[in-house]
Amino acid sequence: MEKCIASVATPLGRGAISIIRLSGKDSLNIALKVFSSKNIKKQVLPRFMYYGNLKLGNDLYEQCLMVFFKAPFSYTGEDVVEFQVHGGVLLAQKVLEEVLDAGAILAEPGEFSKRAFLNGKITLDKAEAIIGEIDAESEAELSSSLQVTNGKLSNKILQAQEKLKLLLAELEVGMDYPDETEETKLKENIFESLDNVLSEIQQILSNSNSAKYLKNGINVALVGKTNVGKSSIMNALLGEDRAIVTDVQGTTRDQITETFLYDGIKINLIDTAGIRKTDDRVENLGIQKSKSALACADVVLFVLDGSEKLSEDDKKIKNMVGQNTIFVINKTDKKRALQHFENEIEISALKNTNIENLKKAIKEMVISNEIDFNKLVITNERQYSILKDAESILQNIQKDEQILSLDILAMQIKKVWQTLGKITGNTENEDIIDLIFSKFCLGK
Amino acid sequence: MEKFDSIVVGAGHAGCEAALALARTGNKTLLLTISLDAIAFLACNPSIGGTAKGQLVAEVDALGGQMGIIADKTALQIRMLNSGKGPAVQSLRVQSDKNAYHTEMKKVLENEPNLFVRQGEVVEIKVNKNHKTITTHLGLKYQAKSIVFATGVYLKSEIIIGKSREKTGPNGFKNSSKLSDSLKKLGIKLLRFKTGTPPRLHARSVNFKKMEIQNGEEDILTFSYMTQKKVENKAVCYLTYTTPKTHEIIKQNLGKAPAISGEIKGVGPRYCPSIETKVVRFADRERHQLFLEPEALDTQEMYLQGFSTSMPADLQLEMVHSVVGLENAEIMRDAYAIEYDCIEPTQLKPTLELKTIPGLFFAGQINGTSGYEEAAAQGIVAGINANLFNKQKPQLVLKRSDAYIGVLIDDIVTKGTNEPYRMMTSRAEYRLLLRQDNADMRLTEIGRKVGLVSDERYKKFQQKCKKMAKIEKILQQKVKVDEKLKDLFNKNGEPIPKENQRFCDLMKRTNIDIFKIDETYHLFDNFDKHLLENVNTKIKYEGYLKQQQEEVERMLANENVSIPEDFDYNSVKGLRVEAREKLSTIKPLNLGQASRISGVSPADISILSILVKKQKKK
Repeated sequence: MEKCIASVATPLGRGAISIIRLSGKDSLNIALKVFSSKNIKKQVLPRFMYYGNLKLGNDLYEQCLMVFFKAPFSYTGEDVVEFQVHGGVLLAQKVLEEVLDAGAILAEPGEFSKRAFLNGKITLDKAEAIIGEIDAESEAELSSSLQVTNGKLSNKILQAQEKLKLLLAELEVGMDYPDETEETKLKENIFESLDNVLSEIQQILSNSNSAKYLKNGINVALVGKTNVGKSSIMNALLGEDRAIVTDVQGTTRDQITETFLYDGIKINLIDTAGIRKTDDRVENLGIQKSKSALACADVVLFVLDGSEKLSEDDKKIKNMVGQNTIFVINKTDKKRALQHFENEIEISALKNTNIENLKKAIKEMVISNEIDFNKLVITNERQYSILKDAESILQNIQKDEQILSLDILAMQIKKVWQTLGKITGNTENEDIIDLIFSKFCLGK
Repeated sequence: MEKFDSIVVGAGHAGCEAALALARTGNKTLLLTISLDAIAFLACNPSIGGTAKGQLVAEVDALGGQMGIIADKTALQIRMLNSGKGPAVQSLRVQSDKNAYHTEMKKVLENEPNLFVRQGEVVEIKVNKNHKTITTHLGLKYQAKSIVFATGVYLKSEIIIGKSREKTGPNGFKNSSKLSDSLKKLGIKLLRFKTGTPPRLHARSVNFKKMEIQNGEEDILTFSYMTQKKVENKAVCYLTYTTPKTHEIIKQNLGKAPAISGEIKGVGPRYCPSIETKVVRFADRERHQLFLEPEALDTQEMYLQGFSTSMPADLQLEMVHSVVGLENAEIMRDAYAIEYDCIEPTQLKPTLELKTIPGLFFAGQINGTSGYEEAAAQGIVAGINANLFNKQKPQLVLKRSDAYIGVLIDDIVTKGTNEPYRMMTSRAEYRLLLRQDNADMRLTEIGRKVGLVSDERYKKFQQKCKKMAKIEKILQQKVKVDEKLKDLFNKNGEPIPKENQRFCDLMKRTNIDIFKIDETYHLFDNFDKHLLENVNTKIKYEGYLKQQQEEVERMLANENVSIPEDFDYNSVKGLRVEAREKLSTIKPLNLGQASRISGVSPADISILSILVKKQKKK
C-alpha cells in the first residue's frame, strides 16, 4: 500500500457536510491520532460509523463521524478513512491540516481515482475516463493557478521565490566554489531575508483567510447558559438585516444557522438546538453542544447576564472559549453585578442597544484591516495547504537558526522554494545553477 | 582478425576505468589510444577532486575503480574543501603530479592480465548482428561483442589560439579525424562543444614574493581506503590577481579574441569562462583571482588557474605580464581553446549504452561532460555495463539517491546538456545522503556484486563496518549526570541535562560532539578519527538524514515502475503534444526518469502511470 494521502472529498462550499478522505498505508493510524471515540473498543471495525471527537488544535474538538473501510473493500482498494464534519470551507480546511500534520500527504489531482484504478477497483475501460478526470482536475488546478499567476498575489509568491533563489545561489556558490568566490561573502542577513519571506507568506495566508470569510461568511457561535438571552440577541442581530434564513433540515446536525449581512459580509449565527431545550439534562447538553459550536466558529459570542455574578456554569463555559471570544454582557437595562472582561460589549437585546457595535466587533475580530478584493484569490484549498507547508518549514529554520550548517540551511531553503513552486510551477533546479553562473564569476 | 570481448576506444580517465573494469571482470579487452603518451593525461589543471568531484572520485573508488588510488599516490598537496560548511559539501582536492599520474596509471594498465593496450587511431566502426568491428588508421581490424567509446575531446578537435587554428588534439597530440563521421553514419547525433586551458609558465620567472602561499592540510583522509598512509604535502600553490592593466589590454583587443569575435562556434562551459569572457561579462570587477599551481615535481612548469584564453600568443604574454608577480614570466606553453565533436547524450540509456545499438557504450567527454572525475565516473559504469552486456546479464543503473554518479548520468541522458556538463553539489538533491565519507557504505556492495571489489578491499570494508557498529554501540550507553558531565556541559555552554541520557543523545546538543565526549570519557582511544567523524555526522544530522531518506522513498515509488521500451506514447490521448514528443525521444526506463524530463508535467506522469499499468495487464 502506498503512503497515506488526504484531501477534502466533497466540493468546497456551503454544503451541510464536508468529507475528508484518507487513503493508503497508515490511514487508520493517522486518523486515530486526531480522532477519538468512546465507542471504539479494542479496534476500529470496518464499515461502522463512529461518533466522536476530532481534534482541532489545542483543546478544541469538533464532533464528527468517522468510517473506516478496510483494504481491499474501499473506493481506492487501500485502507480508507472518511471523516464527515460540518460544512464550511474553513472547518474542512482545518481538519485537513490536522490530518496532514499527523502524517498524511496532500493528494495530487485525481490521485484517489488513480489508486482505485491501479488497485483494480475500476475496470480497464474506465481508464480513459479517469484520465479525463485527472485532466479536468489539473485543468481546474491550472486555471486557479492562472488566476493566481495573474493577480498581485502571484507576484508576491514569485517575489518570495525570487528572494529564496537568490539566497540559494549565494549559499550554493560558496559551497561549490569555495576558492573562487572571494568577493561573494555570504549575506549576513540571510535569516533576516528569510524572516521577510515568512512574514510575506503569513500575510498572504491571513489575507486568504479573510477571503474565505468574504466567500463563506463568518461563523459566529453563541454560547452561554440558558436564560441569559441568547435567542433575543440572535433576533436582535438578525433584525431587519435578515437576508437568508437557512434551516438545515434532514441532517443529523442539530446546529441551526441563520445568516444576515453586515457590511456586505455574511455572518452565520450558529446556535445550538440543545441549549433551548428545557429538560433535565439541559446544562450538560448545553455545554456539550457549545463545545461543538466552538469548534467551527470563527468568532464566539459568550453571552452573560450583567445583572448576575459569574456562576459555576459560566465558569465552565469560560474555560472552554478561546482568544476569538467576545464577552457579550446582556441586560444592561438592569444594574451591573458582573465583573468586567477585557473584550466585552454591553448590550441590551430587549431595548436593542449597542447591537450595531456588536456587529462591527464581530467583523473586526477576524477581518482586521481593509481588504483588497483583487489580492484575495486563494480560494483553492491545495494552494492554501502549500503555503501552510512553506510557512512551517520557514518556522523550523528560524527555530534551528543556531545549529544549521550551510548545507542543511540550503537544503531547507530549497524545500521552501520548491514548495512555493508547486503554485507557480517554477522549480527547475537548473534555474539556480543558471543564476549562479550569471551572477558570479567562476572558472579556471 | 583479432577478436576481443570488448574494445575501449580512448585511454583518458573514462577509458582507463572502463578498460580496467572490463579486464578485471574477466573480459579480454583491447584499449586503443591515439598515443600511449596520452594515457590518463591531465590535459588541463593538475588536480583531482574538488567540490562534488571529490565525491565522484570516492564513489569510483568504492566501486573498485583506479582513480582514487592513483590520485592518492601522485598527490603533491591535499586539502579538504568546505570543512566548515557542513558534512554534505565537504570534498577532497589534491594537486597532482601530472607526469606521475600518467606513468602510474599506465603501469596499472600494463600489468592488468586481461588488458591489451595498443596505440592506434580508430577510423571506422561497423556493427553486425552479433559483433562490432573497428578499423584503425593503419587498416588493422579488431572485433568485439561490445565497444566503449571514450574519445574525450579528440573527435575532429581543433586548437584555437588567436588566428591560428590547428586540427590537433589537446596539447598537440594527434586528433581523431574520421571516427565522428563513422558514428554519424550509424545515425548518432553529434554536438560541437568547446573548452580551453590557461598558459603554463616557467617557475624561475615568477616573483612568488608578491603572491600569497596556499598550503596543504595535514592529517587528512585519502580518496581511497586502499591507500595505507596519509598524503604528504610536497608542494604549495600561490594566489595572485589580475590588475586593471590586464583588463585594459583585454578590452582593447577584444577583436582578436576568437571566443568573442565569433570565430569559435562551439558551446563553451559557463563555469569555465576564458579570462576575456570574464572581463566582458563581469565588467565591474576590478580584479580576478588566479592560482599558480605546480604541474609536477620533475618540471618547472606551472599552471595559471583562472587565465584560460584563446588570445593570440603575443597578446597572451602581454596579458600575463600585467598580473601581479608575473611581470617577467616566461610562457612555456600557450593557452588555447579547443573545439570538438561529442554526442547528444540523450541518445543513451542510463546504463550509458546507446539506445539504438546494443553493445555500444559511451563515456566521458564524448557525452558532453567535462572534468577528469566526471569522465572516470562514467568510464567505470560503462565498463561495468559492457561486461554485463557481454555476459547477457541485466545492466547496472545507479540511482540519483545512490551516488553522484547516478545524478550525473541521469542528468545528461534525461535532460541532455547544452554546455560541457560539470558536477556540482547543488545538482544532487539528496546530497546529504551522498557524502564523500559514506561513498564506501553506499557503493562497495554494488561494486562487489559486479565483481570489481577485490577480496582485500571487501575485507577492509567489512572491518570498517564492524568498527562503526562498535562505536555506535558504545554511544548507546547511558551516562550519569555527575561532576564529569556537568563540567563538560558547562565548558561548552550547554544546559545540564536533567536526567541520565545516552551518549548519542548528548551529541544532539549544538556544542557537544563525539570528540568532546571522547576527551572527557576516553571511549574511543583505539579508533580512527575519521571513523568517529563518520559516526558523528550520522548521529548529529539524524533528523535531516531521515528527511532526505523519506524524500528518496517517495521518489523510488515512481522509479520502480518501469516503462516498456516499446511503449507507444503517440497513442496516449491524454498526454500533451510536447510531453508526447519528449517522452518518445528520451524513452525513459521508468516513471521516475520520465518525471524529470523537462516539459513533462505531474499530470502527464499520472496519466502515464495508469496506461503503463494498463498495457502491462493486457
